[in-house]
Amino acid sequence: MNNNSPIKAFLVVLVTALVCSSLVSAAVVILRPIQLNNQMVERSRNIIKLTGLVQQGVTPSDEEMLEIYREMDVRILDIDQAMFNDELDPLSFNQRKAVNNPELGVDIPTDQDLAALGRRSRYAPIYMVLKDDGRLDRLILPVHGTGMWSTIYGYIALESDLNTIAAATFYEQNETPGLGDQIMRPEWQAQWVGRRIYDEVGDLRFAVNHGKVEPGSSTWLYEVDALTGATVTGDAVTAMIRYWFGPDGYRDFLDALNRQESGER
Amino acid sequence: MSAKDTFIKPILAENPITLHILGICSALAITNSLTSSLIMSVSLTAVLVMTNIVISLVRRHLPSSVRLIVQITIIASAVAVIDQVLTAYLPDAARTLSVYVALIVTNCIVLGRAEACAMKCGVGTSILDALGNGLGYSLILIVVAIIRELFGNGSLMGHRLLELVHEGGWYVPNAMLLLPPSAFFIIGFLVWAIRSWKPEQTEAADFRPAPLPEKEKRS
Repeated sequence: MNNNSPIKAFLVVLVTALVCSSLVSAAVVILRPIQLNNQMVERSRNIIKLTGLVQQGVTPSDEEMLEIYREMDVRILDIDQAMFNDELDPLSFNQRKAVNNPELGVDIPTDQDLAALGRRSRYAPIYMVLKDDGRLDRLILPVHGTGMWSTIYGYIALESDLNTIAAATFYEQNETPGLGDQIMRPEWQAQWVGRRIYDEVGDLRFAVNHGKVEPGSSTWLYEVDALTGATVTGDAVTAMIRYWFGPDGYRDFLDALNRQESGER
Repeated sequence: MSAKDTFIKPILAENPITLHILGICSALAITNSLTSSLIMSVSLTAVLVMTNIVISLVRRHLPSSVRLIVQITIIASAVAVIDQVLTAYLPDAARTLSVYVALIVTNCIVLGRAEACAMKCGVGTSILDALGNGLGYSLILIVVAIIRELFGNGSLMGHRLLELVHEGGWYVPNAMLLLPPSAFFIIGFLVWAIRSWKPEQTEAADFRPAPLPEKEKRS
């Protein structure tokens, strides 16, 4: 057939589109299970780093990871009611999918929406590491917020005082390569350890500081150093912590848990 | 041009980055780490080879009116497949490269080789041409990445080679090298070096600045 005829042009485009789209779809379908598995392993790896049950620098095998995962008390928290929800299965609950679900998600009031999320899930999976006597050792809470280009996802682990940061990690983002994406670096996350969220009177003080954080200064307890060249990302991290540990986030739950813990003592 | 020339020439003499100044965006974006540069090099070379083969096979059946559309569809499919393979088998690397793998579609080298070679030559020549250009691209990426990661971060492929000051060592890293503009300087110096060595690569000036009017010269 003549290459210049419109029919030939139409046929060539049609055949190319069909062949190419089936190739791409096949690749996606075949590789999907492997990708999902990677995500699961990655997620538990991130949480397990924060439990304090694994030595620094040691990468546990997948079985060891599952072992530790089982020892943790995983619960679904109803954020607004500040209590646990026992109807949802903690293992299969997907917080990200819940955001856009009409039943499970909720719009965030504009004046509360520090992390620029728009909507969030009503429920969050939280991870409790218990001491041998059953008392709380660490509490691991998921956080996320809008950064410069992407949504940043992370976990914050609190000590049993529910204020001191035991460990923090950010495990997914698409910030500027070489600048904002440095929040994923272990060295940067290490300086979060020992910082506090609230001060003595309960005000939310935590922030990513633009300048140098001087040890011993009045803000030192509550601030971490910003990353050079990543002001927007740093501010987004501050906003994210202020949102999730504020009144629309985990604040009520933390207060309730604090009362309960001190009541038991 | 002999088969050997088709393969060898694009590596240095007709390098896509330093002679044609193509594919600069990824060369700027991901060369702050040698590992990402290597993965990017392999991905781009794989895409080049695949698309050159396919386009060379169908070249006689491409009506010129829809030629570019079909070429881009083929390139985009190859890139989508590579992207999926990377997220499945090299999830950590895929996370660092983020959007840049998908952006291979817009890499001018791929479409450039499809137009300049695969549309005109047989499969064999097209494969050699793709490999040559892929290696030429990789060579520049690797050189730039070594300079940037070693002097910007004191490491190579994540292995610490120069002890950094803030970790108790002696080396003060040049943070500018981790930012994309530094790749501009390095590629600029490379272009300068290659063109001093091979002056035939230097292009004739497009225009000469007009002489200043007499009046302004006096003041």
